[in-house]
Amino acid sequence: MADSTRNALPLAVTVSGIGGQGIQLLSKTLALAATKAGRHAMLAADYGGEMRGGPSSTSFVIDDKPVNALPILEETDAIVLSHHKFSERAVERLLPGGVCMVNSSIVDQSVIPTGARVIEVPAADLAKKLGSPQTSGLILAAAFNSLYGLVDHETLVDAMRDLIPPYRQQAIPKNIEAMAVGRDAVAGHDLAGAPA
Amino acid sequence: MSEELELLEGTAAIAKSAIAAGMTFFAGYPMSPFTGLLESLSAMMPEAGGVCINAESEIEGVNMTLGAGAAGARAGTGSCGQGIALMQEAIAEAALNETPFVVFNLARGASDYFQCTKGGGWNDYRTITLAPKSVHEAVEHTQLAFHLADKYRAPAIVYGDPLMARTTVGINIKKLDFGDLPQKDWALDGSMSGTGKSRQVWTWAMGKVTDPGPEMDAHWRYIAEKFNTIDGIEQRHEELWCDDADTIVVAWGTGALFAEKAVSELRKAGHKVGIFRPITLWPFPGPALERVAEGKRVLVFEANAGQCLEDVYQWVPRRRVTFIGRVSVDHTGMNFGDIMDAPVVRQLILEHLDNQAATAGANQ
Repeated sequence: MADSTRNALPLAVTVSGIGGQGIQLLSKTLALAATKAGRHAMLAADYGGEMRGGPSSTSFVIDDKPVNALPILEETDAIVLSHHKFSERAVERLLPGGVCMVNSSIVDQSVIPTGARVIEVPAADLAKKLGSPQTSGLILAAAFNSLYGLVDHETLVDAMRDLIPPYRQQAIPKNIEAMAVGRDAVAGHDLAGAPA
Repeated sequence: MSEELELLEGTAAIAKSAIAAGMTFFAGYPMSPFTGLLESLSAMMPEAGGVCINAESEIEGVNMTLGAGAAGARAGTGSCGQGIALMQEAIAEAALNETPFVVFNLARGASDYFQCTKGGGWNDYRTITLAPKSVHEAVEHTQLAFHLADKYRAPAIVYGDPLMARTTVGINIKKLDFGDLPQKDWALDGSMSGTGKSRQVWTWAMGKVTDPGPEMDAHWRYIAEKFNTIDGIEQRHEELWCDDADTIVVAWGTGALFAEKAVSELRKAGHKVGIFRPITLWPFPGPALERVAEGKRVLVFEANAGQCLEDVYQWVPRRRVTFIGRVSVDHTGMNFGDIMDAPVVRQLILEHLDNQAATAGANQ
């Protein structure tokens, strides 16, 4: 797994969704976990003034050397779509044959680019089943990490723990459960032939 | 192998760098995207033994900072251009009464160039302005700004933007050494209390009846001369691929990062283009630009209606200068619009390279 990841670097990713879906936490968790594993990460956040429902996206690049990338990516190896709203830009910039991980409980199939390697994760349904609908972002984070073999699952969980503020500590046990569900949701997928 | 990296958002990285530089006082009033810096400092300063105040407004914030600077502390304030507009009086006073502090403009875009470099206060003064292109450079510029402020006893500005504020990078922040500085033997630190020789920090420099100052004429001439000296010493810029270029793109701040990417690709396609990036917006590196651009076409890229453009006109004949920037703001008013994107910048440059080639062909 480690070797295939090494070959995949640098990995340029855009995550797109709406405010309230945990897009920023999902992305920070992946970037922090990569940093903890000794890699270099750059993460650019894009969101407006709204707390819920407005556009929320991130772009991040992970590499094993210092990242030299623009904060707005021109093309990406992979995208994670948590919602179809505001997803046009992310979709347009995905390289041909790139990975498109979708929150299949929500995302309208019509936005998925043709030719992409689609990985469906019903993150919203899985989170609801856990009784913690706000964990869908972390389910996607764990699924993405597992798909690419970026870091050990435990490192990803540690990154999440570091990012949860003191007043939200009670959410951690459910987050950990959700991340295990996300990791297992992509069992059987592999990235042979994908770019990056 | 490499040093341990900490993953920090731009504003947190700048906060940490300011503390590493020895900043012990900060006062500001929130305004996005500057708010992240104030939040980071509120969390970090108490532990570092410093003070961070969420002031009642930008005017209170900058005047508290002026007071802390006059007392000898390394002090900072900040906002976006909208809030720094309110601070202009205090910044001008500080320039005239020689109080060092650093102003962080974590702006909503690139349209505060005039505000940073020309200022809006009264009298003959300038403000040293550093325009980093990335979080890593902003971290370095933060410490350099404190050094320059203390070296020249003048306010200095670090001018960032929303992309810088909200970009998170792996970074290792250390104290940087820019050399020795004179003791602050002018600071109002209470040490002369009761001696009859108390110090003054005063824009008008009139002194006391028992100890007259130089007064306005001499003091303000001295201040003007000091800014001339800074102009002669502190200009900083970066040149990329200029030697063989027939066209030079002038860009600054984050805009330069996008221009660099576009130009590097255009060069791969055979275009002879170079980049000139002013790092200090004031003092503007005019003599270096004049040298680099001699006989060449100059394209000025910035996300505003043409502000740096006016400084370029001072050093390159207008007929050789073309403005390729424009106003570009998103629907929230808090971020850049569509111009800050490598394909857009590449196209803007390419259109003018093609025009130039067509004109050259027609002239033959």
